[in-house]
Amino acid sequence: MAEFVKDTTLEDAVMRGELSVFDFCCQKVEGQIARMKERNPDLLWTLEIQDAMWHNYRDAHKRGKKLVFFGGPVPVDIIVAFDCIPVYLDTIPIRLSPNPVLTGKFIDSAERYVPATTCGLCKTYLGTALEDQYGVKPDAFVYSAVPCDSSRVVYPNMERIFNVPTFSFDFPFRRDDRGYDYLVNQTERFVTFMEEFTGTKLDWGKLKEAMTHSNRTYELQGKCADLRKHKPCPLPGRMLVLNGTSNAMACFPEMGDLLEKELEVGQMMIELGMGPCPNGEKHRVALLQNMLWSFSGAMDWMEKEYDAVTVMDAFGFQHGDLYEDLDDRYGCFKTMAKKIQNNPMIHGASGPSENFLYLTDQIFRDYEPDVSIFLGHIGCKHTWASAKMVTDMIQEKYGVPSLYLDVDGIDGRYKTKDEITGALAQYFDTVVNK
Amino acid sequence: MDYQKLFQSEISGESVKAWKAQGKKAIGYICCHVPVEILHALDIMPIRMRATGITESPDGDTWMSTFSCSFARGILQRWLDGTYEFLDGIVTSDGCLMSARAFDNAEHISNKNKEGRFFYQVGAPRMYGDLEKEYYENELKDLIAKLEELTGNKLTDEKLKASIAKYNEVRSLIQQVNALRKEENPVISGEDALKLMLASSNFTVEEYIELLKAFLADAKNRAPITDKRARLMIIGSALDNPGYLQVIEEKGGLFVADDLCFGSKTFNYAMEVDDKDVLGSLADYYLKRIVCPRMMDNRVQLQKDIVEACKEYKVDGVVYQKMQYCECWGGESLYLEPDLKAIGVPMLQVEREEHLANAGQLAIRAEAFIEMIEK
Ligand code: SF4
Ligand code: SF4
Repeated sequence: MAEFVKDTTLEDAVMRGELSVFDFCCQKVEGQIARMKERNPDLLWTLEIQDAMWHNYRDAHKRGKKLVFFGGPVPVDIIVAFDCIPVYLDTIPIRLSPNPVLTGKFIDSAERYVPATTCGLCKTYLGTALEDQYGVKPDAFVYSAVPCDSSRVVYPNMERIFNVPTFSFDFPFRRDDRGYDYLVNQTERFVTFMEEFTGTKLDWGKLKEAMTHSNRTYELQGKCADLRKHKPCPLPGRMLVLNGTSNAMACFPEMGDLLEKELEVGQMMIELGMGPCPNGEKHRVALLQNMLWSFSGAMDWMEKEYDAVTVMDAFGFQHGDLYEDLDDRYGCFKTMAKKIQNNPMIHGASGPSENFLYLTDQIFRDYEPDVSIFLGHIGCKHTWASAKMVTDMIQEKYGVPSLYLDVDGIDGRYKTKDEITGALAQYFDTVVNK
Repeated sequence: MDYQKLFQSEISGESVKAWKAQGKKAIGYICCHVPVEILHALDIMPIRMRATGITESPDGDTWMSTFSCSFARGILQRWLDGTYEFLDGIVTSDGCLMSARAFDNAEHISNKNKEGRFFYQVGAPRMYGDLEKEYYENELKDLIAKLEELTGNKLTDEKLKASIAKYNEVRSLIQQVNALRKEENPVISGEDALKLMLASSNFTVEEYIELLKAFLADAKNRAPITDKRARLMIIGSALDNPGYLQVIEEKGGLFVADDLCFGSKTFNYAMEVDDKDVLGSLADYYLKRIVCPRMMDNRVQLQKDIVEACKEYKVDGVVYQKMQYCECWGGESLYLEPDLKAIGVPMLQVEREEHLANAGQLAIRAEAFIEMIEK
């Protein structure tokens, strides 16, 4: 029998430093699309957003656009209103993470300068900068003081590596009017920065367009999330992966198009009374921490092996703040501030643990999971340090025990897929299905 | 006056118990952006929390997991095991997330047990500017209101200025201690200097001033240290364990300078007071002084300060110690190492935990480093 040999030409070229990360991502998605066209044309919509995003990044300069790299939550709509292309740094490690060799290259590079315990997301994009392998140089860099200590260390270093006009936001832990005011004022400063950087004035009409797209995205995302409250949950766990990075693309119409499709599929599944579990939904899983990007197949595996669908995760959970009066500058900037504070990862991870408790409580109240898994990304030390408070609350209030499983959401070398599924299987067999 | 108490770095409840016997409050604080002058001016004894001497932290580990900084876990352990039972509560600023979690867990557990202790977190911006200062001032006003409620005392500018003067005196005295370390043969080791600075959290500020004065008065009678082979500077994560310096000094190094938040960093700058805007002066001071890399806009200056200190103290080598799981202090080497190299100062990077479990390994690395740099 002929042995199946995986073509690793692209990966090898990245490893040798001959292919940039953006080129790699573009070529990968082109290949996936070609295969999808042949085998599963109905699912092409799932790849279109990625196609648009990576090509946008790579080809921005060819199209005369400026590239603004950003780390952490920032008001992306404003970047777009200035006709620049925003590049969300997190999308790079997330895209590379299914291949541990690739992330390994950049992580190892970063570990020469930052502790090994730094988050894999941060290490990967720092390593890519150190190896000078983005493929394009940013024209500006914007970052924020959240979510965590890892990012607070890595962003200022990257600022010095990029050596381009840079703006940094300081985000308070307060989620009240004082906090919002502070952020609105900083957003005004950011507008001035962008005006100086681009040499143009903020075009409110363009910002309104971006905010309109963004509203559509978040409205649809909220509706998709609502579908997941349904029993059986109509959508597979792996679709949650997108939530974590949707901020990067929320103000692009392609994002809304994708979510419209997702909503359509979800509604159809509800009508058919179906869900992703082959033998019907037996369990509803809540992931308490980060998404396991390096192995999102773990969610498919739980569906297949234990008829356990992941209904929500505390990483990507969205609050769905929408702009109201699009002509009210202060009001819009205040909504941006709220969106930033309720952004995936920021909402639960940064600031006092009570945010994480509140978020988890909401998930358990609204999605009614009966399985709780703290799939703890080891880089996220501050969520580990709130884990007991959160899992105690779940046990006391909802009677659900939690599994603690340490993983690296980005660096697949930390634990093999077999080790992860082995630990999950043991939990399902000895606790959930006992 | 016998100043030997300055070298007993273990956490001591002696002074605070006497203070509390007068019916006054004592509050623990974590991190360096809680203005102690405010607490002092309201007749509260501020005590910087630490984990010195801890050998294990089972409760801290349970609540914060072993994927957390062991210093922060140690603080939580100390809180839970009753070492800090004399404290009426904790005030923190949002330093690193590890120290924030030590606070969160302490508050959570205390509230669960209905202890009725005081907890408050001050938001401190991570950049300096007009907006940031205004924000921080508002945070301080809230803190003052809460503390006034707790103590029944009222804060006035006069009281605040008097407290600032006291703490400025401490700063000036510590700077005099540090000046002694610039000598070719200093009269105080790095280990003792750190003990002396840690002792600031064992005494009232008034007692501490007297002890420091006594030490300085006697400095000329102390024997100079002449048997060391290399002048060192220590930088990095929060270090409240003088034993760590001892291991390295036993191998022939002498720490003549430090960049530690438990060491010189918090004493390096005096506060300038504008009589018309005392709280504003306080906000300026705490946001501008360079203590640790929690700020987003001071990294370059922080690194420059280290390089300058190396020149000023004639340092032969820098020991950069990083606590496991401490990102806050983990990422300075990318630019600092070449800057130090440019002035001919090598840097040794070492990982550590709060409890000095790997002293043997540290000693071996320190010895090799000292051999390499000795002149
Ligand atoms: S996953 Fe956790 S550690 Fe990593 S960047 Fe996000 S908040 Fe920080
Ligand atoms: S040692 Fe580092 S991680 Fe630990 S409390 Fe200090 S700054 Fe935070």
